Amino acid sequence: MEYLKFPMLMMLISGFMACKSGSSSKSLPILGSREPITKVVNGKTEVDTVYQTIPRFSFMDQDSVIINNDSLNNKIYVADFFFTTCPSICPIMSKHMLEIYNKYKGNPEVAILSHTIDPKHDTIPVLKKYAEKLGVKDNQWHFLLGAQDTVYQLAKEGYMSFAAQDSTVPGGITHSGYFILVDSKKHIRGAYDGTDDEQVHQLMKDMDVLLAEEKNLKNEK
Amino acid sequence: MRNKIILSSAFTLSFVIFLGACGNEANVKYQRYYADGSQVYKIYCENCHMSKGEGLADLIPALTDTTFLRENRAKLPCFVNNGLKDSIQINGKIYQSLMPAEKNLAAIDVAKVLTYVTNSFGNNQGIYDVKEVENQLNQCN
Ligand code: HEC
Repeated sequence: MEYLKFPMLMMLISGFMACKSGSSSKSLPILGSREPITKVVNGKTEVDTVYQTIPRFSFMDQDSVIINNDSLNNKIYVADFFFTTCPSICPIMSKHMLEIYNKYKGNPEVAILSHTIDPKHDTIPVLKKYAEKLGVKDNQWHFLLGAQDTVYQLAKEGYMSFAAQDSTVPGGITHSGYFILVDSKKHIRGAYDGTDDEQVHQLMKDMDVLLAEEKNLKNEK
Repeated sequence: MRNKIILSSAFTLSFVIFLGACGNEANVKYQRYYADGSQVYKIYCENCHMSKGEGLADLIPALTDTTFLRENRAKLPCFVNNGLKDSIQINGKIYQSLMPAEKNLAAIDVAKVLTYVTNSFGNNQGIYDVKEVENQLNQCN
Protein backbone atom coordinates (compact mmCIF):
# COMPACT_ATOMS: atom_id res chain seq x y z
CA MET A 1 0.00 0.00 0.00
CA GLU A 2 2.83 2.33 0.89
CA TYR A 3 4.03 2.66 -2.69
CA LEU A 4 0.56 3.79 -3.72
CA LYS A 5 0.61 6.78 -1.45
CA PHE A 6 2.80 9.01 -3.54
CA PRO A 7 0.94 8.69 -6.84
CA MET A 8 -2.33 9.14 -4.96
CA LEU A 9 -1.03 12.32 -3.40
CA MET A 10 0.10 13.59 -6.78
CA MET A 11 -3.31 12.87 -8.21
CA LEU A 12 -4.94 14.73 -5.38
CA ILE A 13 -2.68 17.72 -5.83
CA SER A 14 -3.15 17.89 -9.57
CA GLY A 15 -6.88 17.51 -8.97
CA PHE A 16 -6.79 20.54 -6.72
CA MET A 17 -4.78 22.51 -9.22
CA ALA A 18 -7.22 21.65 -11.98
CA CYS A 19 -10.06 22.93 -9.83
CA LYS A 20 -8.23 26.06 -8.97
CA SER A 21 -7.38 27.04 -12.50
CA GLY A 22 -11.04 26.44 -13.39
CA SER A 23 -12.46 28.76 -10.80
CA SER A 24 -9.90 31.50 -10.98
CA SER A 25 -10.79 32.35 -14.55
CA LYS A 26 -12.90 35.38 -13.80
CA SER A 27 -15.19 35.37 -16.78
CA LEU A 28 -17.06 32.58 -18.51
CA PRO A 29 -17.04 32.07 -22.27
CA ILE A 30 -20.16 32.55 -24.35
CA LEU A 31 -21.01 29.30 -26.09
CA GLY A 32 -22.90 28.71 -29.31
CA SER A 33 -22.66 30.32 -32.70
CA ARG A 34 -21.78 33.97 -33.22
CA GLU A 35 -22.13 36.33 -36.15
CA PRO A 36 -20.17 39.43 -36.93
CA ILE A 37 -22.50 42.34 -37.66
CA THR A 38 -21.16 45.41 -39.37
CA LYS A 39 -22.85 48.66 -38.64
CA VAL A 40 -22.03 52.27 -39.19
CA VAL A 41 -21.66 54.40 -36.10
CA ASN A 42 -20.83 58.12 -36.48
CA GLY A 43 -19.67 57.54 -40.03
CA LYS A 44 -17.30 54.76 -38.99
CA THR A 45 -17.85 51.10 -39.79
CA GLU A 46 -17.76 48.94 -36.70
CA VAL A 47 -17.90 45.21 -36.37
CA ASP A 48 -19.95 43.87 -33.55
CA THR A 49 -20.38 40.26 -32.55
CA VAL A 50 -23.87 38.96 -32.04
CA TYR A 51 -24.01 35.89 -29.90
CA GLN A 52 -26.61 33.24 -30.19
CA THR A 53 -29.38 33.43 -27.62
CA ILE A 54 -31.97 30.94 -26.38
CA PRO A 55 -34.97 31.22 -28.75
CA ARG A 56 -38.23 32.53 -27.33
CA PHE A 57 -40.33 29.95 -25.54
CA SER A 58 -43.42 29.76 -23.40
CA PHE A 59 -44.27 26.78 -21.23
CA MET A 60 -46.41 25.99 -18.23
CA ASP A 61 -44.88 25.00 -14.91
CA GLN A 62 -46.06 22.73 -12.08
CA ASP A 63 -48.19 25.55 -10.66
CA SER A 64 -49.81 26.23 -14.05
CA VAL A 65 -47.85 29.46 -14.33
CA ILE A 66 -46.62 30.45 -17.78
CA ILE A 67 -42.85 30.71 -17.89
CA ASN A 68 -41.31 32.45 -20.87
CA ASN A 69 -38.23 34.46 -21.72
CA ASP A 70 -39.63 37.53 -19.99
CA SER A 71 -40.27 35.76 -16.70
CA LEU A 72 -36.54 35.15 -16.58
CA ASN A 73 -35.40 38.71 -17.16
CA ASN A 74 -32.69 39.76 -14.72
CA LYS A 75 -32.07 36.15 -13.75
CA ILE A 76 -29.44 33.60 -14.55
CA TYR A 77 -30.76 30.07 -14.82
CA VAL A 78 -29.81 26.44 -15.16
CA ALA A 79 -31.82 24.28 -17.56
CA ASP A 80 -32.03 20.55 -18.04
CA PHE A 81 -34.22 17.95 -19.73
CA PHE A 82 -35.74 15.01 -17.90
CA PHE A 83 -38.88 12.96 -17.38
CA THR A 84 -40.39 11.86 -14.11
CA THR A 85 -40.39 8.12 -14.84
CA CYS A 86 -36.87 8.00 -16.22
CA PRO A 87 -35.05 5.10 -14.58
CA SER A 88 -31.55 5.88 -15.78
CA ILE A 89 -29.77 9.19 -15.26
CA CYS A 90 -32.61 11.43 -14.10
CA PRO A 91 -32.60 10.62 -10.38
CA ILE A 92 -28.90 11.51 -10.18
CA MET A 93 -29.54 14.68 -12.15
CA SER A 94 -32.40 15.57 -9.82
CA LYS A 95 -30.18 14.94 -6.83
CA HIS A 96 -27.53 17.28 -8.22
CA MET A 97 -30.08 19.90 -9.25
CA LEU A 98 -31.44 19.71 -5.72
CA GLU A 99 -27.97 20.62 -4.42
CA ILE A 100 -27.94 23.65 -6.70
CA TYR A 101 -31.49 24.55 -5.65
CA ASN A 102 -30.60 24.32 -1.97
CA LYS A 103 -27.52 26.46 -2.43
CA TYR A 104 -29.36 29.30 -4.22
CA LYS A 105 -32.72 28.93 -2.50
CA GLY A 106 -34.33 32.32 -2.03
CA ASN A 107 -31.94 34.10 -4.40
CA PRO A 108 -34.22 36.04 -6.79
CA GLU A 109 -31.46 36.17 -9.40
CA VAL A 110 -31.31 32.41 -9.87
CA ALA A 111 -33.90 30.13 -11.46
CA ILE A 112 -33.94 26.49 -12.49
CA LEU A 113 -35.87 25.07 -15.45
CA SER A 114 -36.43 21.35 -15.88
CA HIS A 115 -38.13 20.55 -19.17
CA THR A 116 -39.96 17.25 -19.34
CA ILE A 117 -39.45 15.38 -22.59
CA ASP A 118 -42.42 13.10 -21.86
CA PRO A 119 -45.42 15.48 -21.91
CA LYS A 120 -47.86 12.59 -22.39
CA HIS A 121 -47.15 11.21 -18.96
CA ASP A 122 -45.79 14.26 -17.17
CA THR A 123 -48.94 16.34 -16.90
CA ILE A 124 -49.11 19.36 -14.59
CA PRO A 125 -50.35 17.33 -11.59
CA VAL A 126 -47.60 14.75 -12.16
CA LEU A 127 -44.97 17.47 -12.30
CA LYS A 128 -46.45 19.12 -9.23
CA LYS A 129 -46.25 15.89 -7.27
CA TYR A 130 -42.70 15.25 -8.46
CA ALA A 131 -41.65 18.73 -7.35
CA GLU A 132 -43.27 18.32 -3.96
CA LYS A 133 -41.72 14.94 -3.39
CA LEU A 134 -38.33 16.44 -4.21
CA GLY A 135 -39.02 19.10 -1.60
CA VAL A 136 -39.53 22.00 -4.02
CA LYS A 137 -42.41 24.09 -2.76
CA ASP A 138 -41.54 27.61 -3.92
CA ASN A 139 -41.46 29.05 -7.43
CA GLN A 140 -37.74 29.10 -8.08
CA TRP A 141 -37.46 25.70 -9.75
CA HIS A 142 -39.88 25.30 -12.63
CA PHE A 143 -40.83 21.90 -14.01
CA LEU A 144 -42.00 22.77 -17.48
CA LEU A 145 -44.56 21.14 -19.71
CA GLY A 146 -44.59 21.82 -23.44
CA ALA A 147 -45.43 19.98 -26.64
CA GLN A 148 -42.78 17.39 -27.36
CA ASP A 149 -41.81 18.84 -30.74
CA THR A 150 -41.44 22.31 -29.30
CA VAL A 151 -39.27 21.09 -26.45
CA TYR A 152 -37.06 19.03 -28.77
CA GLN A 153 -36.69 21.97 -31.10
CA LEU A 154 -35.78 24.29 -28.24
CA ALA A 155 -33.20 21.78 -27.10
CA LYS A 156 -31.72 21.34 -30.53
CA GLU A 157 -31.69 24.93 -31.69
CA GLY A 158 -31.22 26.56 -28.33
CA TYR A 159 -29.66 24.79 -25.42
CA MET A 160 -27.77 22.02 -27.18
CA SER A 161 -26.77 23.83 -30.34
CA PHE A 162 -23.18 23.92 -29.18
CA ALA A 163 -23.11 20.13 -29.14
CA ALA A 164 -22.33 18.30 -32.33
CA GLN A 165 -25.49 17.21 -34.08
CA ASP A 166 -24.07 13.75 -34.65
CA SER A 167 -23.66 13.35 -30.91
CA THR A 168 -23.62 9.68 -30.01
CA VAL A 169 -24.93 10.08 -26.48
CA PRO A 170 -27.54 7.38 -25.84
CA GLY A 171 -31.02 8.85 -25.96
CA GLY A 172 -29.78 11.71 -28.13
CA ILE A 173 -28.59 15.11 -27.04
CA THR A 174 -31.92 15.96 -25.47
CA HIS A 175 -31.37 13.22 -22.97
CA SER A 176 -27.67 13.66 -22.52
CA GLY A 177 -27.79 14.82 -18.92
CA TYR A 178 -26.50 18.32 -19.61
CA PHE A 179 -27.04 21.18 -17.19
CA ILE A 180 -26.95 24.39 -19.24
CA LEU A 181 -26.05 27.68 -17.61
CA VAL A 182 -27.74 30.72 -19.19
CA ASP A 183 -27.13 34.37 -18.34
CA SER A 184 -29.70 37.16 -18.09
CA LYS A 185 -29.22 37.99 -21.78
CA LYS A 186 -30.04 34.39 -22.66
CA HIS A 187 -26.51 33.54 -23.72
CA ILE A 188 -25.26 30.05 -23.00
CA ARG A 189 -22.35 30.37 -20.58
CA GLY A 190 -21.60 26.77 -19.76
CA ALA A 191 -22.63 23.14 -20.20
CA TYR A 192 -21.99 20.51 -17.55
CA ASP A 193 -22.57 16.81 -17.15
CA GLY A 194 -25.44 16.74 -14.66
CA THR A 195 -24.59 13.20 -13.61
CA ASP A 196 -21.04 14.08 -12.53
CA ASP A 197 -20.35 15.35 -9.02
CA GLU A 198 -17.29 17.36 -9.97
CA GLN A 199 -18.86 19.05 -12.98
CA VAL A 200 -21.87 20.02 -10.92
CA HIS A 201 -19.57 21.60 -8.35
CA GLN A 202 -17.79 23.46 -11.13
CA LEU A 203 -21.19 24.66 -12.31
CA MET A 204 -21.94 26.12 -8.89
CA LYS A 205 -18.59 27.91 -8.87
CA ASP A 206 -19.30 29.24 -12.34
CA MET A 207 -22.72 30.42 -11.20
CA ASP A 208 -21.00 32.51 -8.55
CA VAL A 209 -18.68 33.97 -11.18
CA LEU A 210 -21.65 34.73 -13.42
CA LEU A 211 -23.64 36.31 -10.59
CA ALA A 212 -20.71 38.59 -9.86
CA GLU A 213 -20.51 39.54 -13.53
CA GLU A 214 -24.24 40.32 -13.65
CA LYS A 215 -23.89 42.47 -10.56
CA ASN A 216 -21.05 44.46 -12.14
CA LEU A 217 -23.12 44.98 -15.27
CA LYS A 218 -26.00 46.34 -13.23
CA ASN A 219 -23.71 48.69 -11.34
CA GLU A 220 -22.27 50.03 -14.56
CA LYS A 221 -25.68 51.02 -15.82
CA MET B 1 16.26 -8.70 21.29
CA ARG B 2 12.96 -7.27 22.41
CA ASN B 3 12.33 -5.86 18.98
CA LYS B 4 13.01 -9.22 17.50
CA ILE B 5 10.39 -10.84 19.67
CA ILE B 6 7.81 -8.22 18.81
CA LEU B 7 8.65 -8.55 15.16
CA SER B 8 8.47 -12.28 15.04
CA SER B 9 5.30 -12.43 17.07
CA ALA B 10 3.75 -9.83 14.81
CA PHE B 11 4.80 -11.96 11.89
CA THR B 12 3.34 -15.12 13.39
CA LEU B 13 0.15 -13.33 14.26
CA SER B 14 -0.37 -12.00 10.77
CA PHE B 15 0.39 -15.44 9.42
CA VAL B 16 -2.26 -16.95 11.63
CA ILE B 17 -4.78 -14.31 10.57
CA PHE B 18 -3.86 -14.97 6.97
CA LEU B 19 -4.35 -18.72 7.43
CA GLY B 20 -7.55 -18.10 9.30
CA ALA B 21 -8.96 -15.95 6.53
CA CYS B 22 -8.01 -18.50 3.91
CA GLY B 23 -9.36 -21.36 5.88
CA ASN B 24 -12.66 -19.62 6.42
CA GLU B 25 -14.46 -20.48 3.23
CA ALA B 26 -17.70 -18.84 4.26
CA ASN B 27 -15.90 -15.60 4.78
CA VAL B 28 -14.22 -15.78 1.39
CA LYS B 29 -17.58 -16.42 -0.21
CA TYR B 30 -19.08 -13.49 1.63
CA GLN B 31 -16.22 -11.21 0.52
CA ARG B 32 -16.68 -12.28 -3.08
CA TYR B 33 -20.46 -11.79 -2.98
CA TYR B 34 -19.99 -8.38 -1.40
CA ALA B 35 -17.35 -7.20 -3.88
CA ASP B 36 -19.27 -8.44 -6.93
CA GLY B 37 -22.47 -7.11 -5.42
CA SER B 38 -21.08 -3.61 -5.27
CA GLN B 39 -20.52 -3.78 -9.03
CA VAL B 40 -24.06 -5.02 -9.66
CA TYR B 41 -25.31 -2.23 -7.45
CA LYS B 42 -23.42 0.39 -9.47
CA ILE B 43 -24.98 -0.80 -12.69
CA TYR B 44 -28.53 -1.61 -11.63
CA CYS B 45 -29.37 0.31 -8.49
CA GLU B 46 -27.11 3.28 -7.87
CA ASN B 47 -28.84 5.55 -10.40
CA CYS B 48 -31.83 5.61 -8.13
CA HIS B 49 -30.76 4.61 -4.66
CA MET B 50 -27.50 6.62 -4.92
CA SER B 51 -23.95 5.73 -3.93
CA LYS B 52 -24.52 5.82 -0.20
CA GLY B 53 -27.95 4.20 -0.40
CA GLU B 54 -29.49 7.52 0.56
CA GLY B 55 -32.21 7.52 -2.10
CA LEU B 56 -33.76 10.74 -3.38
CA ALA B 57 -35.92 12.93 -1.15
CA ASP B 58 -39.48 11.53 -1.00
CA LEU B 59 -39.22 10.02 -4.46
CA ILE B 60 -36.89 7.08 -3.96
CA PRO B 61 -36.47 5.37 -0.58
CA ALA B 62 -33.12 4.99 1.11
CA LEU B 63 -31.73 1.51 1.70
CA THR B 64 -30.74 2.39 5.23
CA ASP B 65 -33.81 1.15 7.11
CA THR B 66 -32.30 -1.99 8.62
CA THR B 67 -35.52 -3.02 10.33
CA PHE B 68 -37.46 -2.81 7.09
CA LEU B 69 -34.81 -4.80 5.26
CA ARG B 70 -34.73 -7.46 7.95
CA GLU B 71 -38.48 -7.80 8.22
CA ASN B 72 -38.85 -7.96 4.46
CA ARG B 73 -35.76 -10.05 3.84
CA ALA B 74 -37.73 -12.83 2.16
CA LYS B 75 -39.36 -10.40 -0.27
CA LEU B 76 -36.21 -8.60 -1.42
CA PRO B 77 -35.41 -10.92 -4.36
CA CYS B 78 -38.95 -10.44 -5.69
CA PHE B 79 -38.62 -6.65 -5.29
CA VAL B 80 -35.57 -6.75 -7.53
CA ASN B 81 -36.92 -9.25 -10.06
CA ASN B 82 -40.47 -7.93 -10.38
CA GLY B 83 -39.95 -4.31 -9.47
CA LEU B 84 -42.30 -2.33 -7.27
CA LYS B 85 -45.26 -0.20 -8.12
CA ASP B 86 -47.61 -0.02 -5.18
CA SER B 87 -46.95 2.36 -2.38
CA ILE B 88 -44.50 1.29 0.25
CA GLN B 89 -43.78 2.71 3.69
CA ILE B 90 -40.17 3.09 4.80
CA ASN B 91 -38.99 5.02 7.81
CA GLY B 92 -42.45 6.45 8.26
CA LYS B 93 -42.55 7.91 4.75
CA ILE B 94 -44.81 6.68 1.98
CA TYR B 95 -43.29 6.16 -1.45
CA GLN B 96 -45.37 5.73 -4.58
CA SER B 97 -42.87 5.65 -7.37
CA LEU B 98 -41.89 2.88 -9.71
CA MET B 99 -38.97 0.56 -9.33
CA PRO B 100 -38.25 -1.24 -12.60
CA ALA B 101 -38.26 -5.05 -12.80
CA GLU B 102 -34.89 -6.67 -13.47
CA LYS B 103 -36.19 -9.92 -14.89
CA ASN B 104 -32.90 -10.73 -16.54
CA LEU B 105 -30.73 -10.48 -13.49
CA ALA B 106 -29.51 -13.99 -12.63
CA ALA B 107 -30.25 -15.35 -9.16
CA ILE B 108 -26.55 -15.26 -8.30
CA ASP B 109 -26.37 -11.56 -9.14
CA VAL B 110 -29.50 -10.87 -7.11
CA ALA B 111 -27.86 -12.71 -4.21
CA LYS B 112 -24.69 -10.66 -4.60
CA VAL B 113 -26.41 -7.32 -4.83
CA LEU B 114 -28.63 -8.12 -1.85
CA THR B 115 -25.57 -9.18 0.12
CA TYR B 116 -24.05 -5.83 -0.73
CA VAL B 117 -27.17 -3.85 0.16
CA THR B 118 -27.92 -5.65 3.42
CA ASN B 119 -24.31 -5.15 4.56
CA SER B 120 -23.74 -1.56 3.49
CA PHE B 121 -25.22 1.82 4.37
CA GLY B 122 -25.25 0.89 8.06
CA ASN B 123 -26.80 -2.56 7.52
CA ASN B 124 -25.04 -5.65 8.78
CA GLN B 125 -27.03 -8.78 8.03
CA GLY B 126 -24.55 -11.29 6.62
CA ILE B 127 -24.57 -13.15 3.34
CA TYR B 128 -27.69 -13.48 1.20
CA ASP B 129 -27.06 -16.88 -0.32
CA VAL B 130 -27.99 -17.75 -3.89
CA LYS B 131 -30.00 -20.76 -2.63
CA GLU B 132 -32.08 -18.47 -0.47
CA VAL B 133 -32.65 -16.19 -3.47
CA GLU B 134 -33.70 -19.06 -5.74
CA ASN B 135 -36.04 -20.33 -3.09
CA GLN B 136 -37.69 -16.92 -2.65
CA LEU B 137 -37.91 -16.24 -6.37
CA ASN B 138 -39.99 -19.41 -6.79
CA GLN B 139 -42.53 -17.97 -4.40
CA CYS B 140 -42.93 -14.46 -5.86
CA ASN B 141 -46.48 -13.56 -6.67
C1 HEC C 1 -35.61 3.57 -11.38
C2 HEC C 1 -35.19 3.71 -10.03
C3 HEC C 1 -34.82 2.47 -9.21
C4 HEC C 1 -33.87 1.52 -9.50
C5 HEC C 1 -32.95 1.45 -10.70
C6 HEC C 1 -33.87 0.61 -8.38
N1 HEC C 1 -34.81 0.99 -7.46
FE1 HEC C 1 -35.22 0.08 -5.68
N2 HEC C 1 -36.77 1.34 -5.41
C7 HEC C 1 -37.11 2.39 -6.23
C8 HEC C 1 -38.35 2.97 -5.75
C9 HEC C 1 -39.06 4.16 -6.39
C10 HEC C 1 -38.76 2.22 -4.64
C11 HEC C 1 -40.04 2.41 -3.86
C12 HEC C 1 -41.14 1.68 -4.62
C13 HEC C 1 -42.53 2.09 -4.28
O1 HEC C 1 -42.78 3.28 -4.07
O2 HEC C 1 -43.41 1.21 -4.30
C14 HEC C 1 -37.71 1.21 -4.42
C15 HEC C 1 -37.71 0.30 -3.37
C16 HEC C 1 -36.67 -0.57 -3.09
C17 HEC C 1 -36.57 -1.41 -1.92
C18 HEC C 1 -37.54 -1.48 -0.76
C19 HEC C 1 -37.56 -0.23 0.02
C20 HEC C 1 -36.29 0.10 0.75
O3 HEC C 1 -35.85 1.26 0.63
O4 HEC C 1 -35.70 -0.75 1.41
C21 HEC C 1 -35.42 -2.12 -2.02
C22 HEC C 1 -34.85 -3.13 -1.04
C23 HEC C 1 -34.81 -1.75 -3.30
N3 HEC C 1 -35.60 -0.81 -3.90
C24 HEC C 1 -33.64 -2.28 -3.77
C25 HEC C 1 -33.16 -2.06 -5.04
C26 HEC C 1 -32.05 -2.78 -5.63
C27 HEC C 1 -31.24 -3.85 -4.93
C28 HEC C 1 -31.90 -2.28 -6.88
C29 HEC C 1 -30.89 -2.74 -7.93
C30 HEC C 1 -30.98 -4.12 -8.34
C31 HEC C 1 -32.90 -1.24 -7.09
N4 HEC C 1 -33.65 -1.16 -5.95
C32 HEC C 1 -33.03 -0.49 -8.25
C33 HEC C 1 -36.42 2.84 -7.33
C34 HEC C 1 -35.42 2.12 -7.95
